[in-house]
Amino acid sequence: MAQIFPKWTNQVPRKILIGLIVVLNAVIFGVWYFFSPQYTDVGYAPEQPVPYSHKIHVDQLGLDCQYCHTSAFDSKQANIPATQTCMNCHNQVQVKNPDNVALILDSWETGKALEWVRVHNLPDYAYFNHSAHTNVGVGCESCHGRIDKMEVVYQSEPLSMGWCLDCHREPEKYVRPVDEVTTMGYKVENQLEIGKALVDKKNIHAPTYCQGCHY
Amino acid sequence: MNDLESTDRQMSEEVKETTYWKSLNELANNKEYQKYAEREFTENATELNDGVSRRGFLRVMGASVALAGLAACRRPVQKILPYSKQPEDIVPGIPLYYATAMPVQGNLVGLIAENHEGRPTKLEGNDMHPASRGGTSIYNQAAILGLYDPDRSQSPLYNGNKSTVADFEAFAKSHFANTGQRIAFISEANSSPTYQTIKEQALSKFNNSTWVTYEPFGEDNVVEGNRIAFGGRLRTHYNLENADVIVSLNDDFMSSTHPNNVEYAKQVSSRRKVTDTDGEMNRIYSVEDSFSLTGSYADHRLKLKASQMEAFTYALAAALSTRINGLSAFSSYTNEFTDHKWITALADDLAANAGSSALTAGAQHKPEVHAAVAAINQALGNTGSTVHYLDVPHIDEQSSTEAFADVVAEMKAGNIDTVVMVGVNPVHTAPADLDFENALSNVDTVVDLSDYVDETSKKAAWHVNRAHFLEAWGDGYSYGGARSVIQPQIRPLHEGLSEIEFLNTIVSGSMTAGYDLVRDTFQGYYRSGFDTRWTNILHDGIDTTGNFNQVNVRLSSGFASAMNRAKSNVSSTTGMEVVIRPDATLYDGRYANLGWLQELPDPMTKVTWDNVALMSPATAKSLGVEEAGAGQDDYDVVEITVNGRSINIVAWVQPGHVDDAITLTAGYGREGIGRVASSYIDYTAGGVDVYPLRGTDNMLFASANVSTTGDTYEIACVQDHHSLEGRDMYRQAPISEYKKNPDFASFASVHTYEVPGMEAAEEMGEDQPISLFNEQTYPDYEPQWGMAIDLNSCFGCGVCVIACQSENNIPVIGKKEVKQGREMHWIRNDRYYVGDDAESPQAVHQPVPCMHCELAPCEQVCPVAATTHSEDGMNQMTYNRCIGTRYCANNCPYKVRRFNFFNYPKEYLTTGDDPDIIQMAMNPEVTVRFRGVMEKCTYCAQRVNRAKIEAKKETGSPKPADGAVKTACQQACPADAIYFGDLTDDNSEVAQMKRNERNFQMLEELNTRPRTSYMAKLTNPNPALA
Repeated sequence: MAQIFPKWTNQVPRKILIGLIVVLNAVIFGVWYFFSPQYTDVGYAPEQPVPYSHKIHVDQLGLDCQYCHTSAFDSKQANIPATQTCMNCHNQVQVKNPDNVALILDSWETGKALEWVRVHNLPDYAYFNHSAHTNVGVGCESCHGRIDKMEVVYQSEPLSMGWCLDCHREPEKYVRPVDEVTTMGYKVENQLEIGKALVDKKNIHAPTYCQGCHY
Repeated sequence: MNDLESTDRQMSEEVKETTYWKSLNELANNKEYQKYAEREFTENATELNDGVSRRGFLRVMGASVALAGLAACRRPVQKILPYSKQPEDIVPGIPLYYATAMPVQGNLVGLIAENHEGRPTKLEGNDMHPASRGGTSIYNQAAILGLYDPDRSQSPLYNGNKSTVADFEAFAKSHFANTGQRIAFISEANSSPTYQTIKEQALSKFNNSTWVTYEPFGEDNVVEGNRIAFGGRLRTHYNLENADVIVSLNDDFMSSTHPNNVEYAKQVSSRRKVTDTDGEMNRIYSVEDSFSLTGSYADHRLKLKASQMEAFTYALAAALSTRINGLSAFSSYTNEFTDHKWITALADDLAANAGSSALTAGAQHKPEVHAAVAAINQALGNTGSTVHYLDVPHIDEQSSTEAFADVVAEMKAGNIDTVVMVGVNPVHTAPADLDFENALSNVDTVVDLSDYVDETSKKAAWHVNRAHFLEAWGDGYSYGGARSVIQPQIRPLHEGLSEIEFLNTIVSGSMTAGYDLVRDTFQGYYRSGFDTRWTNILHDGIDTTGNFNQVNVRLSSGFASAMNRAKSNVSSTTGMEVVIRPDATLYDGRYANLGWLQELPDPMTKVTWDNVALMSPATAKSLGVEEAGAGQDDYDVVEITVNGRSINIVAWVQPGHVDDAITLTAGYGREGIGRVASSYIDYTAGGVDVYPLRGTDNMLFASANVSTTGDTYEIACVQDHHSLEGRDMYRQAPISEYKKNPDFASFASVHTYEVPGMEAAEEMGEDQPISLFNEQTYPDYEPQWGMAIDLNSCFGCGVCVIACQSENNIPVIGKKEVKQGREMHWIRNDRYYVGDDAESPQAVHQPVPCMHCELAPCEQVCPVAATTHSEDGMNQMTYNRCIGTRYCANNCPYKVRRFNFFNYPKEYLTTGDDPDIIQMAMNPEVTVRFRGVMEKCTYCAQRVNRAKIEAKKETGSPKPADGAVKTACQQACPADAIYFGDLTDDNSEVAQMKRNERNFQMLEELNTRPRTSYMAKLTNPNPALA
């Protein structure tokens, strides 16, 4: 019988199979990494209406997180401060600077809100309560990173469910005493030992059942 | 079976042999019904039935979604807008609660509004307010939707063209400068002292003016009756807590249609709460024509036509006159009811409970009936204990019905220059024979203030949009006289005027803010310590002073002669009788555009989105009305003619309705006031307007000619939906049975055998039947949530359904979808008829939320683990995991799961030109669910979680104190039928209720171990009537 197919076609099935496996793995890996919050959300640093620098205010001037974000220990939101808070100092400090303070003055005088761009955002079906975390010793920097080093705020942690569960399953690896919650750069050698003691003292049972956050 | 008599745990024969059925088709249990009830979701449930199949739809949408998808790769930008100057009390994320009050027909019900940063989202009852005591009616709960209704009138209109408040002010100043013109003020009933002050000013400034109060279903007849009996136009106010026997003559005082229903429901149900065999209950009798809520709650019910109530009342008075003193006006009077079994029994029971009984009659009956009722209460010595009479300042000296008819006659004759209408809609609701619309056209200038651009607004030269009570300052009195200030929760959304601002503009020619007007009034009340007392009334929602005067009454000298005239002038009807009532969900039509209320099934008929003509099975047969089969939606239409005017309306068979009478409910059939009233999602208009049949001589009942038309019309009725098909879901017994046999409600008692698997389990030392599934163990540090519903308290009003809808962002789906069985209410109220006699059944109500089963059948079958069990005992629903298999709904034996077939929230939230408005009514703490996702009652997880976090912060333990967290349904219920709380706390109310002998679980044999259980109903029948 005449040979219909040339000899090199013998290798085609094997090559297709290997190619398919490689491509499938690449696609899966690609989706797994490039579509994960680690890639899409970490580093998000939107431009804000006013070039407010946490580095100046927190690192240089020494303002505590709670001076502006007042409801972090009381409510589910740690609020962005009202223009009124800025005016506490800026009715005297740098009043004439047209690039930044003037924009705040505009909001103060007209009563219009400043439209900040939200950096840390969870999907609508997930509910997060700040006060439940701050009151038991989860530090601000655990989730928001070293804000005191940021000229422009960027998202430093993925805030994905898996990332949340890392702490929820083993809170002793991450908790700190409540009065250290707003400290930037907190580090101790015996974290696990202190952590375990804090978990006991604060009766921490971080929910890992769905309704803890999804309702 | 001979075991029946042997052990103590067996129930008596007659108690066990009851059948529970939801509809006549279920009672017949014909093949059609069985076929219909077999399916979880109706035939073609997933098909979009208006021409486009789902596949076709997806094909079209799929393409555009793919194109849109890539563009959405960029993360959407969300903005945070903090305040510029933050108000003092606001902590972002924590809602504030303010006391306010809702006026309904002039009577205030105290409410607490949950306010998220200046946006009210939920209304609750105010514990401190006597007309609420923590409970609410369906109108109170739905009022929040009324605030955000996109169809509300959004600006003043001058001759139909958009205008402004400033223009109206200018008009008022110039037009009303002529103080001598003949003005007629037609107003709603309003108890506000500020309003009354401005009314006085108006009447004195405009010396040729008249003022008339018009309410289509008002209390005028009761007040007139008291004048006949006692000489003064007084309001009757009951204290049913003190009543051991209550007799209702066609008075549905537990339904939302009664002005003081929340207080009465609370009082009556509080006398029926029995926790042990020593408990006692009151006894309620209801004599009525249609099946009312009060009738379903009563121990005894007698069917009587509305026209016969008068004769019945006089016969009762005559029977009592032989037993007690004070009713000599009726001695030796006889009529067709004199020897009626009920007359004897009632007279005996009332006399035996003289001083702790109460007789009441429906407000629409003629004044003479109320006079007789008042005299009977007086003679029984009930005055001062179960009933008292109040002198209400805003009730006029002249009968409103007469005054209104006079004014219309003047208008017709062209004797009125200007008509000012405040909060009324007479073009729609006035008695048809007055021909109000025609009379109005003879008036030069018509000015109207209303919420919607309604039938009357369209005939007015000037229409001013009204500010909702949640947007405006006001004041007023509750039904019993408690004074409150109405505190606004948000700036007027459409810059409307409240009624006091409106009237004040007309009287004074310039706008004064409602705040100033109300404060002025209260400066007059609080002459010293104003600031503290003002703050107190705003905080508490009630001012303990300032009640209506209770009048000491004596039978007037003219009473006997008035009764003599009445006795010889008893009304009657010939042939078929037609009775017109306010609708249980829409009242007189004022709530017609509120989707929640349109979709709320009528408490007794379970019909949504339409009104129907109710008649008994025998009457339907005699008229030749065909019964619709199960699952069919076409019902016969009949034509009803009264005094030459006709309407065509669907005939509905109501078991237990009196023969040869038809009940119609008002409020439907409105056109042009909004999308919902005309049923925007569907193709058929919402119901039939019955006001044309109502004339001044037949405001309640009339003789009618009825005939079938041969047409049919589709009705969306939910009574057969989610049926448990006759399984054991309800248990009840007379209280005597309970005392003899406290365990009557246990499974073994009812079924004569133990729960399957229980004996084997007990041998092994377990307290629950063995199960094939892995049982979850719960940690000690978590609370365990449970719910107990007392069937002895629930009377089926449906406020739990509306409260849940408000709290959990449940969408309205429209008539067509309801017909397919897709209603989204997480808690439903099942109404069962009891017994084998379709002409005179008993009716009972059962609210069914999610059972939160510990061994949940739904959890076992979800392929993606979207529904699982939490550590605190709740069955949790994770919307983002759900892929829409619907296996869980199929497996749920209680049928409590609801599926979002067609993205109802999107349809519901984005209608109209201004979609943002209705979105403001949503509760931010609850996810709004998308298409293709299953949802169900969550025991208000958002409230539970909030309470757990607060408890954890304050005490270190996540277990809230008993009562710290209430589910929405529990909080709204005026009868306190729902108990919810932590079962690990032995002293919590719910734990106590679950330990009670009356506690039972629905479908216990399935071993689902539901956390929601019920307490069996008890009845208190009179042995003489048994």
